[in-house]
Amino acid sequence: MASAHVREELSAYVDGELPPDRAMEVADHLTTCTGCASDYEAMLTTVRTVRDGMVQHRAPDVLRARIRASLREEQPGTVRRHAPVPSRAWRIPWSAVAAALLLVVASSGITMVATSRRASDSSVAEEVLASHIRSLMPEHLTDVRSSDQHNVKPWFNGRLDFSPTVPRLEEQGFPLLGGRVDYVHGRPVAVVVYGRRQHVINVFSWPASRDGAASSAPRTRNGYNLERWRQGAAEYWAVSDLNAPELRTFVALLRQADAPPAAPAVPSRYAP
Amino acid sequence: MPESTLESFERTVMPLLDDAYTLARHLVRDEHDAQDVVQEVYLRAWRHYASFRGGDARPWLLTIVRNCCYTWRRSARRDTVEYVDDQHGGEYGAQRAADTGALEESDRSELQRALDQLAPEFRETLVLREIQDLSYKEIARVTGAPIGTVMSRLARARRHLQQALGIGARETS
Repeated sequence: MASAHVREELSAYVDGELPPDRAMEVADHLTTCTGCASDYEAMLTTVRTVRDGMVQHRAPDVLRARIRASLREEQPGTVRRHAPVPSRAWRIPWSAVAAALLLVVASSGITMVATSRRASDSSVAEEVLASHIRSLMPEHLTDVRSSDQHNVKPWFNGRLDFSPTVPRLEEQGFPLLGGRVDYVHGRPVAVVVYGRRQHVINVFSWPASRDGAASSAPRTRNGYNLERWRQGAAEYWAVSDLNAPELRTFVALLRQADAPPAAPAVPSRYAP
Repeated sequence: MPESTLESFERTVMPLLDDAYTLARHLVRDEHDAQDVVQEVYLRAWRHYASFRGGDARPWLLTIVRNCCYTWRRSARRDTVEYVDDQHGGEYGAQRAADTGALEESDRSELQRALDQLAPEFRETLVLREIQDLSYKEIARVTGAPIGTVMSRLARARRHLQQALGIGARETS
């Protein structure tokens, strides 16, 4: 067999892609022709070098988040029906959100699994924060979009085994944006969403278990502020990138609105 | 409970994101452009997911990546002819100036520089073979080229890299 032909086929020979009869001829030739044998060695070295050296890129998490968000927007036959969005100003830049998501995932390693009966306060905080960040993805913020408490509150009926409180705080500068049901701490929870300028405040609530402190000190994680408290028989968490003093004010207003002096502090639906 | 389309897509196509991104990075090179292209790829894949009839999703997705990359190249640089194709003898050096301008020379390894000198047809064949580990048959399907062309592109791309990297018969015993 001519050496020129063999040299042409060494690349496919290395890949094991020659037909068996051709491969045998090449193998035979290599045992007798030193020139082709050294070409073969060089080809092997080249293939190995290229294989080891070619960069296998890792897709950035931002891209992953972007793709997921756009797929959901494209989803055919979407079941969600939205009231008109209050304002386009509430559209969240996904890139910032995805970057924040990346940061949170990278820096703290969110544990989504609440296995123990008494998940620690801290792991609930992580879940609540993760849910908050997830909610900022396009179309994730609210299942029911409305600035009217009389739309939002009934929406939860039948979706949860309790009824969250949905006070109006618009006059105090915290317009109601809507609500959604999320899954935190091993159970479905109510999330009522408020706004403050460009900031989103997610208020989570669910019936409290017996143990646990009445409230916790405000905390900051990855640039988000979290507040936790108990009112009546419900456990509340508020999360936002709003500054801590304003979030404090918001929580105070919410608690005040939630518990008017004349009414009993415990909403009846929370009662066991 | 039956799996929703989105769940099925999430399970079969989303895990291939690194592969898709890698091919895109090797073909369009700029990382931001590559991200835009891959997002478009996934949208297309999603829209046409109904036409994916099971089997190995990787060649299917990589075909879309490849097509999107070429569409992107055509629209981005319609007026420059940079590459010599198979039929024109493959004088690699000629494309180098046009191809490397946007990249920092110092950032790239010797191998990367040699890869950048290759026309995209050769580069994509190499990526599909050396990184994605596809068979010649699968590469032919992804690139739409006959198997014989896949074979000769790989042989020529490797010969070029061999020379560029200074791997020669004389240096091996």
